[in-house]
Amino acid sequence: MLLIAGVTLVVMAGTHNLRHRQMEMQKAQQGDVQLTPASSSSTSADPSDDPAAKLLLGKAAPSFTLVDLDGKKVSLADYKGHAVVLNFWATYCGPCKLEMPWFQDLQNKYKDKGLVVLGLDQDDGMAVKEVAAASKRVGVTYPILMPDDKVSKSYQLSDYIPETFYVDKSGKIVEQTIGAHSKNELEADVQKAIASGGL
Amino acid sequence: MKTALIAICVAVLGFSAQTQEIRLGDAQPVHRAHVELLSSAAEVKAGEPQMVELRFRVEDGFHINSHTPKDELLIPTAIRFNTGSVVKVVDEAFPKGSTFRLPVGDGETLDVYQGEFRVEVKVVAPKGSSTLVGVLKYQACDNAVCYPPKTLPVVVAVTGN
Repeated sequence: MLLIAGVTLVVMAGTHNLRHRQMEMQKAQQGDVQLTPASSSSTSADPSDDPAAKLLLGKAAPSFTLVDLDGKKVSLADYKGHAVVLNFWATYCGPCKLEMPWFQDLQNKYKDKGLVVLGLDQDDGMAVKEVAAASKRVGVTYPILMPDDKVSKSYQLSDYIPETFYVDKSGKIVEQTIGAHSKNELEADVQKAIASGGL
Repeated sequence: MKTALIAICVAVLGFSAQTQEIRLGDAQPVHRAHVELLSSAAEVKAGEPQMVELRFRVEDGFHINSHTPKDELLIPTAIRFNTGSVVKVVDEAFPKGSTFRLPVGDGETLDVYQGEFRVEVKVVAPKGSSTLVGVLKYQACDNAVCYPPKTLPVVVAVTGN
């Protein structure tokens, strides 16, 4: 009897391990899909198309307090009731710098509707003045926030950028994209954030 | 019956042990370096400046900035050798990059390495076996996303004749 119970336990443990392993393999494969490079000359191979890349979609945007280029503390909570675009970028990222002027245009266009764009820098160890110079060169005037690993973790960022979160007026993430997108796509996502979560 | 049960038990334990073996350690994250070193050894004339060609390959679908990217904000591909090595590096020459246009909006024209590229390194090596050691620093992107700057160890066995 004891032997049978022992065998049963071992089988259950083995099955559990097997299931765990299969899940890990599935995750790894999903990760692999995310990292597959765009093979054509269009943006059709969008990493955002992978459902695993939208882990925070529909959830409340994690709160944060970061420091801007002037050393002023900026919290997501400061923009309660606003549609907010959180764009993670870095100075070395070409696709990021293509998108950023479009975010600036959209910020200007939808300012009256309460849109706020925040650029969250992801450079490692870069001086504030260098980040400031880069953002000026790219032509953006919206707040640029200096990096903090805790925020990257809470937003479950991958090791690639750009990654953008569109937060509605209620603080919910209504769209999450990875990689550079066309200006029309950015505008559609901005409009979605503005239209959603009205009180 | 007892023998059969013991046999089943041993078989199941064996299977379980195999499973445990696979689970050892945490699941490793998917890590891709995007660049690999193809060269592993070189033969040179000892005691004289000699050219060694280091062959690298960028993963298909990706590019890295050339040694002289057009935009000063971009991180150039560079190589740094250990200064304490018995193999002295006296010069290095990077190839010209190729033009790459980002397929987003009006695009941005970049100067990049794609596929295989070769760095020519002039070295002075002693007679016998020694090792050229250094790191390649680069930053990779694909059509839509960029990865943080990375380093690739460069270790090449050099035989001075």
